[in-house]
Amino acid sequence: MGIEIPFDVATIAGPEVGGVAPPEVIGSYISSAKRPLLVVGSELLRDEFFIDIAIELGKKGIPIAATGHSIRGFVEKGYTENIYYYNLHELTNCLRDPNWEGLDGAGNYDFVIFYGIIYYYASQMLSCLKNFATEPLMRTVSIDRYYHPNARMSFTNIMPRMEEEYKAMLKEFVSSTKR
Amino acid sequence: MEEIKKGGLVDLFDLKNVDIHIGEIVDEGEEEEEWEPMGPHPMPRMATLRDWDFKLLNRYKPFYAPVCDMCCLCTYGKCDLSGNKKGACGIKMDAQQGRMVLLACLVGCSAHCGHGRHLLHDMINKFGRNVPIDFGPEVDIEAPLTRLVCGIKPKTIGDYEQVFSYVEEQIVQLTDALHTGQEGSYMDFESKALHMGMLDSLNKEAADIIQIACYKMPTSLPGGGPDVPLVDVGIGTMNTDNAVIIVIGHNVPPAADIGVYLTENDLEDKVDLGGICCTSIDTTRVYHKAKVTAALGRQLRVLRAGIADVVVIDEQCIRADVLELCQRVHSPMIATNDKAMHGLVDRTDDDPDKIVDDLVSGRVPGVIILEPDQVGEVAVRTALEMDKKRRSLKFILSDDEFKYYVNDCVLCGSCTLACPNGLYIGEANKSAAAGNIKPLADLFDICVGCGRCEQVCKKHIPIVDMMTKAAYPQLKEEKGRMRVGRGPIWDSEIRVVGAPIVLGTIPGIIAPIGCGNYPNGTKDAWLIVKEFAERNYIVTLTGCMAIDCALWKDEDGKTLYEKHHGGFDGGGVLNIGSCVSNAHIHDAAIKVASIFAGRPLRGNYEEIADYILSRVGACGVAWGAMSQKAASIATGFNRLGVPAVVGPHGVKYRRAFMSRPDIKEDWKLIDASDGSDVYVEPGPQDLLVACETVEEALPMMAKLCFRPSDTDRGRSVKLTHYIDLNLKYLHTYPSDWHLFVRAASDLPIATRNELLKKLEDERDWKIDWKKKRIEEGPIRAYNPSFNPTNLERLIRGKK
Ligand code: SF4
Ligand code: SF4
Ligand code: SF4
Repeated sequence: MGIEIPFDVATIAGPEVGGVAPPEVIGSYISSAKRPLLVVGSELLRDEFFIDIAIELGKKGIPIAATGHSIRGFVEKGYTENIYYYNLHELTNCLRDPNWEGLDGAGNYDFVIFYGIIYYYASQMLSCLKNFATEPLMRTVSIDRYYHPNARMSFTNIMPRMEEEYKAMLKEFVSSTKR
Repeated sequence: MEEIKKGGLVDLFDLKNVDIHIGEIVDEGEEEEEWEPMGPHPMPRMATLRDWDFKLLNRYKPFYAPVCDMCCLCTYGKCDLSGNKKGACGIKMDAQQGRMVLLACLVGCSAHCGHGRHLLHDMINKFGRNVPIDFGPEVDIEAPLTRLVCGIKPKTIGDYEQVFSYVEEQIVQLTDALHTGQEGSYMDFESKALHMGMLDSLNKEAADIIQIACYKMPTSLPGGGPDVPLVDVGIGTMNTDNAVIIVIGHNVPPAADIGVYLTENDLEDKVDLGGICCTSIDTTRVYHKAKVTAALGRQLRVLRAGIADVVVIDEQCIRADVLELCQRVHSPMIATNDKAMHGLVDRTDDDPDKIVDDLVSGRVPGVIILEPDQVGEVAVRTALEMDKKRRSLKFILSDDEFKYYVNDCVLCGSCTLACPNGLYIGEANKSAAAGNIKPLADLFDICVGCGRCEQVCKKHIPIVDMMTKAAYPQLKEEKGRMRVGRGPIWDSEIRVVGAPIVLGTIPGIIAPIGCGNYPNGTKDAWLIVKEFAERNYIVTLTGCMAIDCALWKDEDGKTLYEKHHGGFDGGGVLNIGSCVSNAHIHDAAIKVASIFAGRPLRGNYEEIADYILSRVGACGVAWGAMSQKAASIATGFNRLGVPAVVGPHGVKYRRAFMSRPDIKEDWKLIDASDGSDVYVEPGPQDLLVACETVEEALPMMAKLCFRPSDTDRGRSVKLTHYIDLNLKYLHTYPSDWHLFVRAASDLPIATRNELLKKLEDERDWKIDWKKKRIEEGPIRAYNPSFNPTNLERLIRGKK
């Protein structure tokens, strides 16, 4: 893990900050999860590729909570299995409660992957989980093109000129996520 | 009056001919008429309405997303509270977040209280205490919040002295609770924040009533209400062939004096009076030739563009570097309020000739004039002189400068990391260098005008000016129209729409309010208004959203204010006024309870809030909420039972109020008719929630207009819009629409069969197809005589 500047520089909450990790490390970290949840946001809609990545993860058995208006991208591709629209604020409000029954009624999740969400919104929700979803501990990662100190692990900041490299990282991440 | 005796204690039986009021003693001769019996909670103190707050807070549990995991408020600290740890004083992270929320609400509430008190001082100085509060023939209940909270029916502006005294005392007590070693429960911090929010709403009403009364702003007299005139909005409407004065802030008296000076000296066609933020809105309420140059988000750019020959600031939402910005473009600045003096010299009561000479010669960059009636002459004369001097100056970058900078950008990305909206400026520069300026021009509207990017650019590229240059052709054409702020909703309007609102056939009141910290530009403000006005909701705007929505036009070249009527009725698009005017939106909800339902107002906050929460389908939206005032405004709406949606930046307020529809017990109401418990659908589901995009916010707002009291017809109208907005913007049915179905008659007739089939197939509901009835499935059956309440004391008869 390396050191990075938050994507919005002042987003340094305190002593407890997550690290930058490469895709295969995050992928294998997720592989240890019992009940992972993929939370996606509206930034996915900027390119079909990103929706496809989410669908690939979905097909590995990871349920998807589609926040913002991201559900559109999945509906348009006809992907409706194991995917639920949820407002991110309301979803995080549920995730912080260990007694929440989950999207499928089988209980809360132990691992949350944030992907395609406006930086500052995601950052605040990750802050909530970091501070309050502690018993039992909920693990959080981000696979966005941003460094997220409030997630346990995230990628480094990736500028648009590195889009192809980012896409390659996502592919690497999918292939190293074993379910 | 008898002397006070018995060691300082007053024996009430010995007091004759006096009536004790809180804050003052009134002789019998002036005794307030008995206009309504006093309710249970006049001038509530910090803990008076705590039970009501806890009812709200138990359903809409405070949700915290800390911006900072530490506390540094005392020398025990810094304390690391991450993971809900305790600080050295014993406070846990959740309570600390509640404390920060209370602090934000304190600042917001104090801004409105300070503003209102200041205004009252100035108005009493100018007009005396006895200016009557009379809003014309259509408004009998002219101060609903004041009646509700204080139990007072103000007749003249002088009556507001006791209202401010009450608020000020409460603010001090609430501030005390913030000290280390006081409150320790997040629930109690939030109850206090709700109290602060309620006081804030009262301040706003007071401030607006005072200015309406003194400046004869629109009321229900001819030319008011739905018939208020339209005014120009937008940078493109400023006539730079004239001298230009730009006013910034929230306190109208100095700007009003400029209007008076222009009128009296026949200078209206020689000087353009424009403004930014709420002062500009209120200026158009007193001087119809004034223009609204821009909302808050454009402040930096309007100043940098150098169009102002004089800048006059008053209070709130002024950039802290305003003087530096003015100096950069040789615009003299006049500060008019002791809360924002910017290090200048106070020249109140000085000879206007000398002040004008000092400003025009550039000997001083600005002055302070604290007497509003001295501002007009100095501002106008200075503007006329500066106009001559500044005419040849150009502040928009030249083509060569623009070219140089776009080529100089090294695409390092530092600006992006500094930008609150994460804008990819370097990439836009590169496109511009390659001949395509559109990406840079497109950033202009999404940029919130903070200037953080420029400070980190190692190549010293004036990024803000670059975007302005790229967007300049469009900016020159930015010419919108906006209704003048109309102030109060008329009682006669409430009489017409009270029933349709409560029954649900007018699907809701949508109130876009507040600042311009939008995630994706001003057009979202327009889309929100358009979508709901076209669906027959009542759209009531105030503040920067009222301005920003006027910047956009449809294909016929019309703004929404020109397309829609301005009455408080379905399809109306109403500019209520500045931020303080949004108290009239609270007032409209209160008047529905009072006029339509006949509920007593006086000192009866809890009952009215309970009524509104269960029956009045209103939803605020502060899509670009930024300030502490916005925090206290939203919290004030929430205590009254009105939910609000904020844009994604709103999550930085740290706290939200969201319910859990999956927890049945949270949705237990009482039927006041017989005292029985009724488990209801989640209406409204949240009191404060953020959406990521406007596409998500539109269906969310429709959802937050459901109320347990909806009739089946009303529910079917609300469901129609909720489902339709989901299909339109999310391309799918909402996952929870079934929660709002109580009977087949709740379903829209046009799609009833289709929806019943969905309920049968997807939810396993039992449908009797012959009778077209739902046999099994809903949370509850539809009961037209259901009388929902959260308050046991309102039960009328036991089963
Ligand atoms: S107020 Fe409490 S939490 Fe804050 S610095 Fe002092 S001891 Fe620490
Ligand atoms: S001025 Fe605009 S572009 Fe620059 S950091 Fe602020 S919002 Fe971003
Ligand atoms: S900080 Fe300056 S040099 Fe770097 S990308 Fe932004 S504009 Fe270009």
